Amino acid sequence: MTLAALELQNIEFSWAQQPKPLFAIAELTLQQGETLFIGGPSGCGKTSLLSLITGIQVPQHGTCKVLGTAMNLLSPSDRDRFRGEHLGLIFQQFNLLPFLTVQENIELPSKLFDRRFKKSTELFGSVQAHVDRLCDALHLEPALRQRRANLLSVGEQQRVAAARALLGCPSLIVADEPTSALDEENKIDFLNLLLSTASAQNTSVITVSHDMRIASKFDRVFLMPRREPQHVLA
Amino acid sequence: MFWLNLAWKSAWSRKYSLCLVAVSVCLSVIILLGVQQIRTDAKQSFSNALSGVDLVVGPRGSQTDLLLYSVFQLGAPTQNMSYTDLQRINQLPAVAWTIPIQLGDSFDGFPVMGTSIEFFKRYKSSGKDLSFQVGQSFEDPQVNAGALMQVVIGAEVAKSKKLKLNDTFALTHGYKAIEETVHTDHPFKLVGILKPTGTPLDRSVLISLEAFEALHVGWGMGLRPSAFDAKPDLQKDLRSVAELKPSELTAVWVGLHSRATVFSARKAIESLRLNSTSVPLMAVLPGVALDELWQIVRVVENALIVIGALVAVCSFLGVVSVLLVGLSARRKELAIYRSLGARPASIFMTVAWETFLVCGVAIAAGVLGAQLLIFVFQDYLLQSFGIQTQNGWPGADAWYSIGLLLCCALLASTLPAWRAYRMSLLDGLNPPN
Repeated sequence: MTLAALELQNIEFSWAQQPKPLFAIAELTLQQGETLFIGGPSGCGKTSLLSLITGIQVPQHGTCKVLGTAMNLLSPSDRDRFRGEHLGLIFQQFNLLPFLTVQENIELPSKLFDRRFKKSTELFGSVQAHVDRLCDALHLEPALRQRRANLLSVGEQQRVAAARALLGCPSLIVADEPTSALDEENKIDFLNLLLSTASAQNTSVITVSHDMRIASKFDRVFLMPRREPQHVLA
Repeated sequence: MFWLNLAWKSAWSRKYSLCLVAVSVCLSVIILLGVQQIRTDAKQSFSNALSGVDLVVGPRGSQTDLLLYSVFQLGAPTQNMSYTDLQRINQLPAVAWTIPIQLGDSFDGFPVMGTSIEFFKRYKSSGKDLSFQVGQSFEDPQVNAGALMQVVIGAEVAKSKKLKLNDTFALTHGYKAIEETVHTDHPFKLVGILKPTGTPLDRSVLISLEAFEALHVGWGMGLRPSAFDAKPDLQKDLRSVAELKPSELTAVWVGLHSRATVFSARKAIESLRLNSTSVPLMAVLPGVALDELWQIVRVVENALIVIGALVAVCSFLGVVSVLLVGLSARRKELAIYRSLGARPASIFMTVAWETFLVCGVAIAAGVLGAQLLIFVFQDYLLQSFGIQTQNGWPGADAWYSIGLLLCCALLASTLPAWRAYRMSLLDGLNPPN
């Protein structure tokens, strides 16, 4: 039996000094290799949910298991390590370190964590081979790879971010509004490339977005529970 | 380590602002270390100049003044002592030797010192006997009258005036060379060039007391004999070498048989009975007088050090503020580090390392810069202030300051690092835009 990529049970999360929980989720499970879309309007706690999954925060109630590991049982620094070794993250934009080249940005996970380095070497022979493979799959031309990251277009930057997230074959990619900064055409291209490259590595993908139009690309869709309105306007 | 490498690249991408703050730290370090080194070098070269001399004797007045004008040729005496007192000092049982000093003339800005051949036998600089690059000392004019034309110069004079052995030149009466004050009627022949000593002697021109006297036969009111209508009969005035005795001396350096008798010798010299020509005398222990001098200078010295320290503190505050301001622009970068699995502690280290690196490089550059500046201005310092500077590794004093500066740098680096740590905990992966 393979471990589930994500298992949430009776989660309740609230910010410090706020009595009311921001959101509560009874159950959410994602099998390894599946893709999940989490949707909902702004301010419903999507990003906070991601911070639970990535181990930046822990829920006040319930269990949050990522790849079979209960995040709330790990120490903060173990959660950081877990994130670096097993997860790949993509933000809305500004994913790249501007002072490094594209190549150096993609290589970062393998430089920081032995596990990611070994995975790439085991499966592809060398880190460079994996980088090449990912760049080809994500349509990043070789000429681009020696350029400084801040000279790229937003679309290119997002694809480089995807390549970095996928290097070292993490089990789960977590993407926070990865397409919001892209135009319509790039949006679909990017998603197709990300999802196909991820599935080739049997990597699960969790994406949060308010853009329901892209939801159809994912295996599963989860909508954040609506909160009772705090102010009723007449 | 990879984090350090990353920190370095990140810092390099912000090199302009970091360079500016580094320069400000560097300048403050130069000020601090430069003042310190010049202070130590000044003390060293001042005390080198009189090693071996037990007492400096001159007309009663300020100890420091006597020392400054008779040894370092800084300032001018207001009064001379009588030559007859030299003989009376010589007769004191405790006294081993004396070096008479006669000042007042110059050679192109370099002071001329009239003395006896005893000088070359007795004078020590930094505990070492005098030695010559070329030639030898002038002879005793009482033995060979030709010695009246002989001159010995210090290394610095030879270098700056490009003089060789057997060159002849004329000295100047006083310190301003105009036609009427140049001793053209009495040219000197160079017989010896001293090795560098790192003392004011390097800048001195040495002649015998008799020659000094012969130079001034027939002079009056600071002008040479030919300037007067009534031409004196020089031949008649200049009788024999034996009669060429000065009536006055600027100072006398005294060596004793035993250092232990220095206080009784001083008492004996100071209580010599006055006669018609003599003035009350004072005998100064060079070490004590130097201490008195440092006492006077200490206020200025400390003020400079305090200013240097304040400048250093300001520049460190500058570094901290530039880095703190820079951090808000780096929130994205820090979030990326977090997303890649960096612990907040790693972020603390990265930022701290960067600040420390900037300060460390600046401090190192400051240490080198101070040395370089002192090296470049060593001639100026020697000529204008009589300070022989030393280049090389920083002394104990300087190491202490460098250590203190590094501690400040360490302290300065924790501030932005702590802020970055707090920020990365607070922001997580979602820095505010």
